Amino acid sequence: MNIGYATVVESERLYGETWITWFRAPELARGAYPGQFLMLRCSDDASYGCGSRAGARADDPLLPRPMSYHRLRDGAGGAEWCLLYDVVGRGTAWLAGRRPGDRVYAWGPLGRGYEVGHASHNLLLVAGGIGVAPLVWLADDAVSRGLNVTMVIGGRSAAQIFPSALLPKEVEVVVTTDDGSSGRAGFVTEPFGELLEWCDQAFACGPNAMFAAMAAVARKARVRRSVQVLLEERMGCGTGICYGCAVEVRLRGGRTMKLVCKDGPRFDVRDVW
Amino acid sequence: MPSPSADALQLSVELASGKHSLVLANPVMAASGTFSYGVEYAKVFDIQRLGAIVSKTTTLRPHAGSPPGRRIDETPAGMLNSIGLQNIGIDKLLRDLAPAWSRWRVPVVVSILGAAVDEYGACAARLEGVAGIAGLELNISSPNARRGGMEFGQDAATAAAVTASVVRACTLPVIVKLTPNVGDIAAIARAVVDAGADALCVVNTLQAMSIDARARRPNITRTFAGLSGPAIKPVALRMVWQVASAVSVPIIGCGGIVDGIDAVEFLLAGATAVQVGTATFRNPRAPLDVLEGIEAYMRAEGVADVRELVGAARA
Repeated sequence: MNIGYATVVESERLYGETWITWFRAPELARGAYPGQFLMLRCSDDASYGCGSRAGARADDPLLPRPMSYHRLRDGAGGAEWCLLYDVVGRGTAWLAGRRPGDRVYAWGPLGRGYEVGHASHNLLLVAGGIGVAPLVWLADDAVSRGLNVTMVIGGRSAAQIFPSALLPKEVEVVVTTDDGSSGRAGFVTEPFGELLEWCDQAFACGPNAMFAAMAAVARKARVRRSVQVLLEERMGCGTGICYGCAVEVRLRGGRTMKLVCKDGPRFDVRDVW
Repeated sequence: MPSPSADALQLSVELASGKHSLVLANPVMAASGTFSYGVEYAKVFDIQRLGAIVSKTTTLRPHAGSPPGRRIDETPAGMLNSIGLQNIGIDKLLRDLAPAWSRWRVPVVVSILGAAVDEYGACAARLEGVAGIAGLELNISSPNARRGGMEFGQDAATAAAVTASVVRACTLPVIVKLTPNVGDIAAIARAVVDAGADALCVVNTLQAMSIDARARRPNITRTFAGLSGPAIKPVALRMVWQVASAVSVPIIGCGGIVDGIDAVEFLLAGATAVQVGTATFRNPRAPLDVLEGIEAYMRAEGVADVRELVGAARA
């Protein structure tokens, strides 16, 4: 983990109400892999070594926000990384208001991301809503290593669906929408069930209700496949310090408390649901 | 005005003397529950420069904390927590952490909590004589303990009994962390000092809650939680002032400190040292930044010895 300021390179609304913001701060992505995240302080603080109070100090919103890495690229000044997010509250509204050159205080990479097994060739990625964010990097990475990727992307309506044109052309895409305005009408769980046997491993990110439905499908399936999910929880620190993001998981028959930020955010879906 | 150089600044403070000596290289401590056991951030920045680190509150046996659900929430310039004292227990602390602490320059104070009065003494006895443990902080102020914690700190006689059980059980310096959720904090302060406390930490979190208007439910699964952060600073400052009027032992100011000026305000109110807590979630380096901020203030104001500031607003 490194701490520092990331400089906004570009920021725009990519589709619907979903924003993409690119940052330059190579050290904040050094050693990162898909499924990991950073903490971002989403308020105006010109300085943090602020004994003189020379810079503006904002105490609100107080807590930093956990955000998954969405993608990486080579920029003019070294590696750049980006976030994909919906504006849902004070933190994301602030983030969407940043302009090129603005600085954001952040720390990362954090947590345990997706683990692709050495023997896995066929990867099934399942995205619900903004949960698509970390899976795009996983798809980029898998395709570059010659793996087969099928991606199920679900949302309430067409406006919530990540544009397939922005994915590597090798990725097989299946779209579902609740209202049928794009792709198949229905939930991601249906194609997930159909494709489970095809894949060696499945990876998902989305709302908890989606994970619960996927766990039920995975349990009923004739074949057993590892299904890794990224959990989201309110976090205070992102680094295993505050114990705010505890989740109960099954471990060796019993149930035990784990921290989403440090022990996760990646868990096996059947250990939680 | 003279302008002392960084080297010339006298930052050392004493929280306990005599056989219970606890001397800090500077007045900035990391608060319990916001720095875990110190080892995580030791890899990220130079924590050895801090005055002291207070461990996460630890109980005799490991504890799973609050049941699954929402444990934290954000409030205006503050946060609510209902972690419920999830911790590794004394055995694991002794086995896995104390050996590392014994190699550190920064003193580590262990925060303890018991479900019964004499359990505090039992914890203290286990920690007595262990290399790497510089002192104890008695948590009689957490609003999130099912038993023990705040309920003990709200009653002067019980608070004194807890303190006495620890003072009997060990020779370690004893800090008692007080709760703001009382009518007369000075009375509690006097009771624990009479029972043998070396220093007082003022204060723990304010009991509070938040409600989701759309869901029509409390945000925190256990309904009530502890409020911390800049939102509580004026309350904490007032209580440090009141406690400083009531007792003569060193006081550690705690509550909403984010920068060096906040810390100086607590010193001026009568605190000898400060603890930085919630600010660390916002900025992992916050305790160091507070220290550097105090140094900058001293240089700018021509203060050579940090002890000159203690209680200076009270004159």
